[in-house]
Amino acid sequence: MNKLISEQSLQEQTVQLNKELAPKRDLWLGIEKALATTAQQPVQQKTNVLPMAWAASVVAAVLLSWFSFSPQNELKQTPDNLALMMQQDFEAQKRLVLTSFGQPELKKLPQDMQDQLQELSSARIAIDKALKNDPNNSELLNLLHWTQQQEIDLLKQLYSPKWQTI
Amino acid sequence: MEKFKVIDAKELFAADHESDLIARAKKGDQQAFHQLYEIHHRRIYALCWRMLADKDSAEDVCQEVFVQLWQKINNFRGESKFATWLHSVATNTVLGHLRKQKNWLQRIFSIEDQTMVEASVEMPDQSGLSVLDEKIQQLPERARLVFVLFAVEGYRHEEIAKMLDMAVGSSKSQFHRAKSLLRASLSEQIA
Repeated sequence: MNKLISEQSLQEQTVQLNKELAPKRDLWLGIEKALATTAQQPVQQKTNVLPMAWAASVVAAVLLSWFSFSPQNELKQTPDNLALMMQQDFEAQKRLVLTSFGQPELKKLPQDMQDQLQELSSARIAIDKALKNDPNNSELLNLLHWTQQQEIDLLKQLYSPKWQTI
Repeated sequence: MEKFKVIDAKELFAADHESDLIARAKKGDQQAFHQLYEIHHRRIYALCWRMLADKDSAEDVCQEVFVQLWQKINNFRGESKFATWLHSVATNTVLGHLRKQKNWLQRIFSIEDQTMVEASVEMPDQSGLSVLDEKIQQLPERARLVFVLFAVEGYRHEEIAKMLDMAVGSSKSQFHRAKSLLRASLSEQIA
């Protein structure tokens, strides 16, 4: 029976393995052909789109359960409240942003971007409804402010020059 | 001390040169990309060949790696060394290729039960190869993949387990198995 080579010997041989090997044929020719028909992916911006979508979904889920289990289902109309002012301020900001980008058509955005905007918008509307039920709830007011800000930031991000080629 | 300074300067220059090539390739400069290919393709080919144990597949997948690199180069943000990032692109491409290649026969008859392959393996360029390389090629697939990724490429078992969709313990045991088979095979060669 052969005596096994030592573990150390195997390790030494492994370390000595040639890190580089040359292919027999010229691989570049094929690569070059493929590149002619292959587009480079654009720079993936580190956007907050995914976290925003996630957060918006959480907000929507929380509000859905709020409405489902809340004992008070009748909404109290309090038009002269802080939420309304915030909402008006937000609408004005949004108009300003869209005007500064030349009133772009949101429908021309890629579908996933439209979905993100839609989710944020739905979350905002849901919070607004919840505030009508509880107008002085500071957590809801903070959530509304956060959601509005995310929507504005997303619009700015989408229409800043680096995204305009989409 | 002088000698070390010279080496550092050379490395610095190479790193600068590479950064420049990457920046140009990101802008669609194929000449710069070709130079990146020239710098890295032998290492990538060695990785492909050792993982796939087949010269033709290794050549095809090596090409695929560089096409993928062209597509994804804008994702490289310089958070790690370019070579490290490129190796992860290559490893994922090889594993993707292996997954696609698994035909119904291999799914039915587990490759885990294979012993060392008797047939000789077609080697790429004989000049760069050792006896150990030949023996690695004859290992069963999982043992070979784990051995190459752990011992040659320096991945950790936790990383390998994720890549190969196996438990960390399985990665360790496959490595142990690969070592035992290699030691036995190399000993036979000597005797």
